[in-house]
Amino acid sequence: MQILLDLFYVLIFPGFLFCAVVGLLLAGIDRKIVARMQKRMGPPIVQPFYDFFKLLGKETIIPHAASRGVFIAAPLLGLVSLVVMALFIPVFGFTAFSGVADLIVILYLLTIPAAAIIVGGAASGSPYAGVGISREMVAIVAYELPLIIVLLTVGKKAALDGGITFSFTEIQAYQAEFGSMLSHWSMIPAAVAMLLVIPSEVGSHPFDVAEAETEICEGPLVEYSGSLLGIYKLNHAIKMFILTALFAALFLGGAGSGILIVDVLLLLLICTVVTILSMSLPHAISARLKVEKMFKFYWTLVTVLAVISLVLVWMGF
Amino acid sequence: MFKKIIDNSMAKSPWIYHINTGSCNGCDIELVSVITPRYDAERMGFKLTGTPRHADIVVVSGPVTSQSKERLVRTLAQVPEPRVIVSLGSCPRPCNVFKGSYSVEGPLDKFCEVDVSVAGCTPKPEAIIDGLALAAQILKEKRRQK
Amino acid sequence: MIQHFPILSIMSLFLGSFLIVIFGGKNRFIRNSLAVLFSAIPLVLICCLIKPILIDGEIFSYWMGDWEPVSGFAIGIGLEVDALSLFFALLVVLTIFLAAVFSLKYMSRDDALDKYYTLFLMLGGGVLGLVLSGDLFNMYIMVEILTFASVALTAFRNWGKGSLEAAFKYLVVGSIGSAFILTGVILIYAQVHTLSLAQISALLATEGLTPATIFGFALLFAGYATKAYIVPFHPVAADAYMTAPSSISMVFSGMVNKAGIYGMIRLVYMVFQAMSQSAMQYIIVILGCLTMFIGVTMALSQHDFKRLLAFHSISQIGYVLTAVGLATALGISGGLYHALNHTLFKGLLFLCAGAVFYSVGSTDLDKLGGLAKKMPQTTIIFLIGAFSISGLPPFNGFMSKWMIYQAAYEKAALEGSFFYALVTIVGLLVSVLTLASFIKVTQSVFFGQLAPGCEKAKEVPFSMRWPMWLMAILCVLTGLFPGFVNRYLVVPASAAAIDTTGYIDAMMGAGYGQQLGLSPETALSLEYELTGYWDPIAWLVLFVVLLAGLMISLGLGKASRGPVRRPVPADPKYDTFFGGEASQHSHVGGSDLFWGLKHNLRHYFRFMHSMHSGVVNDYALWTVAGTAVIILFMILFL
Repeated sequence: MQILLDLFYVLIFPGFLFCAVVGLLLAGIDRKIVARMQKRMGPPIVQPFYDFFKLLGKETIIPHAASRGVFIAAPLLGLVSLVVMALFIPVFGFTAFSGVADLIVILYLLTIPAAAIIVGGAASGSPYAGVGISREMVAIVAYELPLIIVLLTVGKKAALDGGITFSFTEIQAYQAEFGSMLSHWSMIPAAVAMLLVIPSEVGSHPFDVAEAETEICEGPLVEYSGSLLGIYKLNHAIKMFILTALFAALFLGGAGSGILIVDVLLLLLICTVVTILSMSLPHAISARLKVEKMFKFYWTLVTVLAVISLVLVWMGF
Repeated sequence: MFKKIIDNSMAKSPWIYHINTGSCNGCDIELVSVITPRYDAERMGFKLTGTPRHADIVVVSGPVTSQSKERLVRTLAQVPEPRVIVSLGSCPRPCNVFKGSYSVEGPLDKFCEVDVSVAGCTPKPEAIIDGLALAAQILKEKRRQK
Repeated sequence: MIQHFPILSIMSLFLGSFLIVIFGGKNRFIRNSLAVLFSAIPLVLICCLIKPILIDGEIFSYWMGDWEPVSGFAIGIGLEVDALSLFFALLVVLTIFLAAVFSLKYMSRDDALDKYYTLFLMLGGGVLGLVLSGDLFNMYIMVEILTFASVALTAFRNWGKGSLEAAFKYLVVGSIGSAFILTGVILIYAQVHTLSLAQISALLATEGLTPATIFGFALLFAGYATKAYIVPFHPVAADAYMTAPSSISMVFSGMVNKAGIYGMIRLVYMVFQAMSQSAMQYIIVILGCLTMFIGVTMALSQHDFKRLLAFHSISQIGYVLTAVGLATALGISGGLYHALNHTLFKGLLFLCAGAVFYSVGSTDLDKLGGLAKKMPQTTIIFLIGAFSISGLPPFNGFMSKWMIYQAAYEKAALEGSFFYALVTIVGLLVSVLTLASFIKVTQSVFFGQLAPGCEKAKEVPFSMRWPMWLMAILCVLTGLFPGFVNRYLVVPASAAAIDTTGYIDAMMGAGYGQQLGLSPETALSLEYELTGYWDPIAWLVLFVVLLAGLMISLGLGKASRGPVRRPVPADPKYDTFFGGEASQHSHVGGSDLFWGLKHNLRHYFRFMHSMHSGVVNDYALWTVAGTAVIILFMILFL
C-alpha cells in the first residue's frame, strides 16, 4: 500500500504529471501575459501543450558528431532531477517525502537541470552549443551567489532557538507560527533578490543568454529535435513551477488551510502571480542582457539585496 | 488517442525556420512584420526558431543563387520530418526579375518539393499568414499519412 | 602477531623498493610482480587492522626494539596507530596499490622503470610511516623521504617540457618546508626533552605553552602546511602535479598532501591541543578559505588538463582544512569525510587524465576534443569523478560538502559570528565554480568536435581501466551509504582525533596523564545532530523509479512514431548545423569559456596571474613570508 502511495506521489501528485501540467500551464500563462503586455493577442494558454505534443510527434535526429548516450540521457537527467525536486518542496503543510532533503540539497539539485543542458549541448558536438555552454556556465555562477545567500538567510531566520535550520518542515513551521517570511520586513530584500534570481534560473527572456535564438541558434539546444527537444521544453516549464513553488515555500509559506485541494489551488495562485511578476514583466519590458552585464547585475545589485537581508537577520531583526 | 493529440498539435504549433537564399530583404521584412503586434501570428502558435532542427515549416525567400544552393540543400536536409517548405515571394520559384542571371541556379523546385507558394513582390502580411496557415494544415496531413 | 602489522606494512614498502633495485633491473616480469606484490601486502595488512582499531576502538602502540618508556619517559621510537592514523593509512595503501596497478600499463612506454617503482614504493613507505608514526622526529624523517622521492618522481619524465623545472621548484619549496619542520622539532625537543607525540602532548598540556613552544609549533604547522600545499605554499604543487606521470599525480593528491593534512590535524588537535582557542580556529579557517577560493579561481583559467586538476586538488584540500578548523564534531567529521572523498575522486580524475595522455599523448585542453566517441568508458568514469568533485547529489562529494556547510553555518549560529556565515557562502560558491570548471573540461576534452590528433585514440587497456572503475564505484558507494562510512570510518577517526587522553594512555601506559595532573577531558563530544535531511537511498530509489517510468514512456512514444534512426554517415541530415556551411568551412568557436566571468573580475585574475609568476624565487619568498605571518599570528594571539 505504501509503495502504491509512493508511486502515486512520484508519478502523479506532486510528482511528474502534476508538475508537468502546472508547469506547461504556467508557461502558457507567461506567454499570454507577455503578449497582452505587448498589445498582442498571444497564443492560447494551452499553447505549450501543443508545442510539447507536436515535438513528440516529430522525428528525432541524432547527429553523427554527437555522443549518442549522453545526448539522449542529458534531458532525461534534467527531468528526473526536477521531478525529484517537486517531491521535496512542500505545499504548505504537505510534503510527499519529508525528511529526505533540505535547502542545500535543493540548491544542488537546482544546478542539475542547468548541468543537463550544458552536458547535452556539449555532447551534440556543435560549436554553437559551445558558445551557449560558456554563457550558461557564467550565468550559473552569476545567479548562484545571490541564491546561496538567500537560502542561508532563510535558514537562519527560520531557526527558533538562535541556531540554524535547513529543513523545509521547520521553515514551514516557523511561518505557520510567526506569519510568512514576507511579512517580516528584514526578509523583503531577500525576497526581491529571489524574484530576480528566478528568471535566470529558468532561462527566461532577459536572462536567456545561453539560448539566444537570434545570435547563437538556441545555443546548447541547437542539435536537439523531436521528443528530446520536447523534454527540454518540458524541463523549462517544470522549472518555472519548481522555482515559483520554491519561492512560495520560502517566503509565502505557512500552515495553509489544512485541506489539500485548497492548499494546492492557493499554491497555484501564488505561482501564477510570481510567474507574472518575476518572469513575464521583465520579459515584456526588457531586451536580452549581454552575458557580462548579466554577471555584473547579479554579483552587484542582486547580491547586495540578499546580503542586506542576511546582515539584518544576523543582527536579529 | 495519443496519436490524435499529436496530429492535432501539429497544426497548432508550427515553428518556422527562415532561409534567405539571396532575397532583396523585402520578403524577410514582411515575414518579420507577421509576428508584430498588428498581425501577431503567435496567436496561431507560429514561432521563429533559430535552428532547422526545431523547425516544422521552412520559409525560403529569394532566388536560389549558386552561392546559396549548397547551403540551402544541406539546411533543408537537416529539418526533421514531417516538414513543409514554403516559398515566399515571387523569387524562389519563377525567379522573378533575376531569371536568366548567371548566378541564379533556377527555381526552388529543382532542389526540393515545395508545398506552399506565397506569391507577390513582396507578398502582403495577410497573404503570408494565409500561406503559413495552409502550411500548418499540410503539416498535419503529412503527419497523419505517415 | 597483529601488533606487528603496522611496522610490517611500512617495511614491506621499503623492502619492495630495495628488492626492485636489486632484482628489477633486468626482467620486466619480476619488476612488475615485485611492485604489485609489495604494494598489495600493506593493503592487506592495514585492512586487517580495521576490525580491532576502527570497530573495536583499540589503539595500537608499538615500541621498536621493545624500547619501552623508562620511568615514564619515552626513549625509544614508537609507532602509534589509532583510528585517525588508520583512516589515513587506509587512504595511503589504497592509493599506492591502485596507482601501482595503473602504472603497469601506463608507464610501459617509459624506460628505467625499476627506478620508477623504487621511488614509488619509497614514497608510499614515507607517507605510510608518517601517518603511523608516534614520534615527532620520525615524522620529520618520513617527510624528508617522501619529499625527495616526490622530487625525483616529478622529474621522472625528464624528456618532457618543464618537468626538471617543476622538480627544482618542488625541491626548493619542499626543502624550506622540511627545514621548518626540523627547526620546529628541535625547538620542541629543547623544551620538553622528548620526541614521543604522546609524551609531548601530556607535558605541554600540564606545563602550558611557552613562547618558544609556540614558535616551534608555528614552524611545524607551516612546515606541514607546505606539504599539504595550502595557499600560499601551493604554486609548486600545480607544476609538480602537471609534469609528473599521472599515476604519480594521483599519489600526490591522494596521499602526499593528505600526509600534510594529517600532520596538521595531529599537531593542532593532539600534540598542542590548540583547537579550543578561537584564534587558532580563525587562522586555520582563513587559510582554508583562501586555499579553496584561490585554488578554484586559478583552475578556471588553466589550459592544461592536469594543471587544472592540480588547482582543484588544492581547492578541495581547502575544504578539508576549513572543516577541520571549525573544531566542531560535525566539522571534523565532514573534513575527514571530504579527505576520503578527495582521495577517491581526485585519484580517479588524475587517472582519467593519465588515460587521455596514454591514448592521445597530450593533456593540453586546446588540443583535445570529442574523445567521448573514442573512449566511452573513460568518459563515464570521468563524469562520475567530475560530478563527485562538484558535489552533485547523490555522489560522495555532496555528502561531505553538505556536512561541511552545515558545520560552518552551525558554528556561525553557535558563536553568533558572521565570519563563519561568510565561510559557508564561500564554500557553496567554490562548489559552483568547481562545477563550472569541470563542465569546461568535460566539454573540451570529451565532447565537442573531434580534435585533429585525436582520431587514432583508443580506449585504454583493461589493466588501466579497472583501477579507475574501482575508484568510480567507490565514489558512488561512499556517496550512497554515508551512514555506513560515517559509522565505521569517519566517526571513529574523528573521535580519535580529539581523544587526547586515550592517545597518551595507550602510548605511555594507563593513567600517565593523570599522574601529571591532566584531567581526562572531553572537550568535544561527537554527538551531533544534522539540521537538515539527506537520505541518499530514498533518493536513489526515487531516481530508479522515475528513470524506469521515463524509459517506459519513451518506449511507448517510440512505438507511436517509429524508431529513432541511427545516423547514416553520408547523409547531410545528420551533419552538425553550421548555418548551412559544411563542417570544414565553419568558423564558429568559443575560445574562452569563462569570458563573462573573467571580464568582470579581470583585476582579480590579473593580480593572480602576476602572483603565479613561475619564478622559484617568488615561491620561496611566498613560503617564507607565509610562515612569518603564521608565526607572528600565533605568537601574538595564542
